[in-house]
Order: sequence, then C-alpha cells, then structure tokens
Amino acid sequence: MESTIVKAIDYNAYFGDNHVVKNVNIEIPRNSVVAVMGPSGCGKTTFLRGINRMHELIPGATAKGKILLNGEDVMEMHPIFVRLKIGMVFQRPNPFPNLSIYDNVIAGYKLNGIKLPKAEKDKIVELSLSRVALWNEVKDSLTKKGSFLSGGQQQRLCIARAVAMEPEVLLFDEPTSALDPISTSTVEELFHELKKNYTLIIVTHNMQQAARVSDKTAFFYLGELVEYDETKQMFTNPTDIRTQNYITGRFS
Amino acid sequence: MSVQVKYRIGKSVGFQVLTILLSVACVIPLIFILIYIIQAGITKINWHFLTNLPKPVGEIGGGIANALVGSMIVIGVASVIAIPVGILCGIYLSENKNSKLAYWSRLCVDILQGVPSIVIGIVAYFWLVKPLGGFSALSGSAALAVMMLPIIIRSTEETLLMLPDTLREAAYALGMPFHRVILKVIIPCGISGILSGVMLSVARIAGETAPLLFTAFGNNYMATNLTKPMETLPHVIFTYATSPYNEWKDLAWGASCMLLIFVLVLNIFTKFITRKWKVQL
Amino acid sequence: MTQFENEIQAVKVELVSMWHLVESQLQKSRNALFNFDRDLAREVVLKEKRVNAFELKLDRDCEDIFALFCPVAVDLRFILAVLKINNNLERIGDIAEGICKYIIETDRDFDKSVFVKTEMAHMFDDSIKILADTRISFEKDDTILARSIFKRDEVLDTINSNAMARVSEIIKEDISLMNDALYTLSIIRKLERVGDQAKNIAEEIIFYVEAKVLKHTEDASVKI
Repeated sequence: MESTIVKAIDYNAYFGDNHVVKNVNIEIPRNSVVAVMGPSGCGKTTFLRGINRMHELIPGATAKGKILLNGEDVMEMHPIFVRLKIGMVFQRPNPFPNLSIYDNVIAGYKLNGIKLPKAEKDKIVELSLSRVALWNEVKDSLTKKGSFLSGGQQQRLCIARAVAMEPEVLLFDEPTSALDPISTSTVEELFHELKKNYTLIIVTHNMQQAARVSDKTAFFYLGELVEYDETKQMFTNPTDIRTQNYITGRFS
Repeated sequence: MSVQVKYRIGKSVGFQVLTILLSVACVIPLIFILIYIIQAGITKINWHFLTNLPKPVGEIGGGIANALVGSMIVIGVASVIAIPVGILCGIYLSENKNSKLAYWSRLCVDILQGVPSIVIGIVAYFWLVKPLGGFSALSGSAALAVMMLPIIIRSTEETLLMLPDTLREAAYALGMPFHRVILKVIIPCGISGILSGVMLSVARIAGETAPLLFTAFGNNYMATNLTKPMETLPHVIFTYATSPYNEWKDLAWGASCMLLIFVLVLNIFTKFITRKWKVQL
Repeated sequence: MTQFENEIQAVKVELVSMWHLVESQLQKSRNALFNFDRDLAREVVLKEKRVNAFELKLDRDCEDIFALFCPVAVDLRFILAVLKINNNLERIGDIAEGICKYIIETDRDFDKSVFVKTEMAHMFDDSIKILADTRISFEKDDTILARSIFKRDEVLDTINSNAMARVSEIIKEDISLMNDALYTLSIIRKLERVGDQAKNIAEEIIFYVEAKVLKHTEDASVKI
C-alpha cells in the first residue's frame, strides 16, 4: 500500500472573496499522527474541513485544487462518500442528545438507515468503545443518553462514533480545547493507540499538544503552509523563522 | 450604618415589594374571570349537555354536541393543513438563516401574525366561501390554519435555532444526506419545542370566532360534511350569548366553560410534553 | 503507560546500556593493563567511538524530550540528571581509552609489582565497583547506595594523595622502574578522576530522586 494516504495539491479555500487557505501542498503518511498548528484565523481548521468537504457546507465557501485520498480526488467524489471515508471529531463533544450511548456509537449506520443484525451492531459498539478506552466505563450504562457522560467521556464517545464507520482518516478539530487536563491527556493517549489503525490529522491551538502527540507537524500562518516536518525537527530546529517565532512565543 | 445606605436598602426593598404586588395584580383578573366562568358554567355541564343537540327556544334542556364535534373537526382539519407547512417552513428558516427568501418569508410571517382575525375571515370569505358557493367547514379550517401558521413557524424556527450547529456538523460528518440530518437529528432533538408550538397554536385558534362567522358559519344540527356549514364552540357562545333568552345564555356559559377547560387542558398538556420530551443538550 | 513515560523509560534504558558499555571499557582496560594485552587495548580505543555515539544519542533524546514534552518536577530533574550523568560517563569512557593508549604506546610489559605497591591494582578494582554501584543505585533510585559512594571515593582520594610519595620511593629503590612508576602515577591520577565522576553521578542521582543539591557541600552530615 502506498505510504501517502492524503495529499493536497495546490489547495485553496475561500469564504466569499476571503482567501483563507493559500496553495497548500502537503502529504500525510498512512498510520501517522499529523498535527496542524498555527495562530487563530490562519486557515488550519478550514483546511481540515476541506479534507472531508465539510468546508463547503458553509454558505459562500468555495475551494480549488486537489485533495487526493489514496490517489483519488475527493473533490470529484460525492461528499457523503468522502465523509464516510474520512471521519471527523469536533471541538466540543457533540453526541446526539436524543440517542443512547449505544445508538450514538452506531449513529453512522442507524441514522443513515443501514440495517445491521443485532450481533453485528453489538460487535461494532464494543470494538469502537474499546478502541477509545471507554468500553469498561460505559458497558453497564449503554442505554443511558450520551449527555449522561462527562465531557471527556463524551468526546471519546464522539471519537468512537467516528471510528465505528471504519474510516481511513480521522480529522480532529481542536479535540481537547473544551476538556479538562485529565480528560485531555486521556484523549491524547488515545491518539497513539488510534494511529495503529487510522491516520490522524489534528488541528490544535496548543503547541505542546502538537509536540506531544504528533509524528509530523504542519505550521500554518496567514493561510499558508509555512513549514511541514517531523515534529522533533520542528520543535528543536525549525527552518523557517516564522515557525521559530511562533513556537517560542515571540510572535508579534 | 449611614443614612444613605439605609435609604438605599429601603428603596431596594420597596422596589421588590412593588414588583410582587404588580405581578399579583395581573393574576387577579385572570383568577376572577376563571372563577366566574366556572361558577356560571360548571352547573350546566352534564352528560345531557354534552351529548344532545340544541333545542328550540322554550324547550327545556338542549346541548352542544354538534358544536363540540364541529370544533374538533374544524380544528383537526386546520391542524392537518397548518402543521406540515408550518414545520417545514420553520425548518427552512432555521437552516437558511441568511438567504433572501428566508428574510422575506420571516417578514411575511411576522406580518401574518399581526393580521386581525376578522380580516383573515373576510379574506377567506371572498376567496373560499364565495367561489365555493356557500359556507363550509373547510373554509373555516383554512382560515384557522392561516392563523396557526405564524405561531408554528416561529416556534419551530426558534427551537431549531437553539440547537447547536455542532449537532448538524456531527451528522454531516457521518456522511448523512440533508434529509436524514433533518428527519433523524434536527427534528427529534427539537421535537418538544416544535410540539409545544403546535399545541399553543391549537389553543390559540380554539377560541377564534371572527373568521368562523364568515366561513363555517353555524349549524343547528349535527354535521360532519366538510363542505357544509358546521357549528363550532366559539360560534355557539356568540349566538347564544347575544340571544335574548335566558336558557340560551346559560348554554353559552356552559359552552364557554367547555372551551376554557379545553384550552387549559391543552396548555397543561403542552407543559407536560415539553418537560417530558425535552432533549438535554 | 503514557507516551511520555515510555520516552522517559527509553532514556533510562539507553543510559543504563551506555553505563554497561563504559563499565566494560574500564574492565577491559584493566585486563589489558594487567595482562599487557595490546589487542584488547586497541579494541577499547575503537569502542570509545560507540561511547561517544551513545552520548550524542542521549543528548538528542533529552533535547527532544525537552522540546516535545516540557517535563516538570521529577521528570525535569531526571532529564537534567541524565544529561549530566551522560557527560560524566563519557568522561569515564575517555579515561578508559586514555589508559589503553598508554598500553599501546609503551613497548614493553609493565612491572606488576609497581601496581601493587602503589595500590593502583586495588584502586582500579574499586573504581570499577564504584561505577557499577552508582549504576545500580541509578537503576533502583537507591539514594542510600548513592550516598555510600562518597565514602568510597575518599578511599580513592587517599590512595591518590599517597601515590606521589610511593612512586618516588619506588624510583629511589630501583631507577629502572621509573617508566613503570610514572605511568602508574598517571593511571592513578586518571582513576582518581573516575572516582570524582562517580561522585558527581551519585550527586545527580540524589538530586533527581530527592531534589537535594549536594554539589559543593563539604559538610559530611548533609551528605548522609
């Protein structure tokens, strides 16, 4: 299998006339964790949402360029198909409040009207919850509502929901910014487990998080991809002066 | 403690007492009205009253069975017309907050809400009753449906706007198509708000008289044909209360009491549903 | 175990294997010296490159941990200690190499009686043991063992300070042993450095386990 799973070629994204992502070229290796960092408004979230075509849901948002998933351009695929292949987890935990924990995990099947036998569903739920280290905590309260869980557990439930669809890539949009430090470290530990089966792209405001969890780091500034390198290299010896200023906190 | 601070505390207490007094003051008339109507009406309500047709003047007894059935039918048909249209319109408004169409339809809904019921009655009279060649329950339902629409639309829109965007995003991110996002996520999560809007709109039109005067008109006999005139509770109250006979006035009190009970029950039911089906976000 | 704990553990394992290597270097240089085994001496000189590689690798790993994980408290002290111990071990590696170079550059066997008279043989064995014990105290976070190093270093110091007198005695008795005696003196001076390095390492171990700074404190009561 090819080692690059996602590849952006001259990707540009706009909100109306506002050019928010400029000519991004990036290659994401399979089964790795890639962190995307940068100051607010640098286009990192927009780029992330471009990968699974969530960007275009916003009125007035357009995109140009190519994003290849296993060599196929997602811009030519149907967005629904793309989103099944590329799962997403958001900033705030957002389990479906009307569904039980069990149904939340298989929401991708249930709400899409895909009928599965009970045994199959049980298997998916247990596997997905185990992958996010939540099975032992919730296995006795699967029928309770998702909102019954704590913030950190809810976020892991949301990850399980994305994992249940067996996507190839998981996108995380600042997944821990609404969580307390303990939940944050639990979720961060998960990334190391998840990368065995999936490719993770994580947008984060928190530089330390990027440093801790990722194999490679991309630094966005003013819509440009300034630097993209091994995380160790990036945090010990960045090549671009803007990266250096950002990670040392000398940004003006 | 200085005099100034005491003065301030005094003012604060005074203001609190004032707010309590005023809030009691606006409840008092309501309570009096309720007590009076129930006192006057409750004695008239019995099985005979509910199941019999009105009798001509001079005869003892007589009931409002035809009005009860008629009201149910007219309100039911109005709901069937208004609820789907209202909810779908509300969904459109909440999903397309900034489109031109949403702006104009929101404006129209607001204006519609302010249109006096008598005006809607006249319009229904000229557009439906005249062309169809006579009073009919259907035209009454149509007029009431128009009155229900703004309430349903607005409450649906408000409820759905309260749902966080993250919910929609979560659904889209799982690869759901638009119609499933609406049907499986947005509506179930906002169901309590939508239903309470529907209930309130029903309660609101249950007592409307003006549009019915021009449309469903009234009927002294049991009628279930939608294309024929039909008796309704508000109309029965109107005709009996304005009649010169005391027995008929008593019937009007009884009917008022029935209407009041219906609206009260609906309101309580709404509160119950909202609480029971509320989705904790 | 978290990723960070894994990294810390990996550094610890790495440092311990460097330690084993340095110990074996010292042991081999002792064997080379006592058996006058030039081949073994050359091997030690060659292997010094591996010690240096270890040092570079540990430096880089520590740098990465600082950059990526921002260690605090015990982890911070641990990484700081590792950096210094790394440095100390590399010096000890250099000392082993230096001793072996003496063996290579002399053309005839050393007279072993000089080793015994100057207590150098005894000193060599002691310093190897001290180094091994500091490693054990590092592996087990055993500060009691680490504290015992200070006493044992003093023994080496005594031998070192007596060395001058003994060497001059030996030379006075038999001038033909001058060469051996001078080499022995140099080796004693080097072994004394090994003791010092071990003492520094012990201080670092106590620093990271107990957060106590013992450097430059001469008061023995504090050290116990």
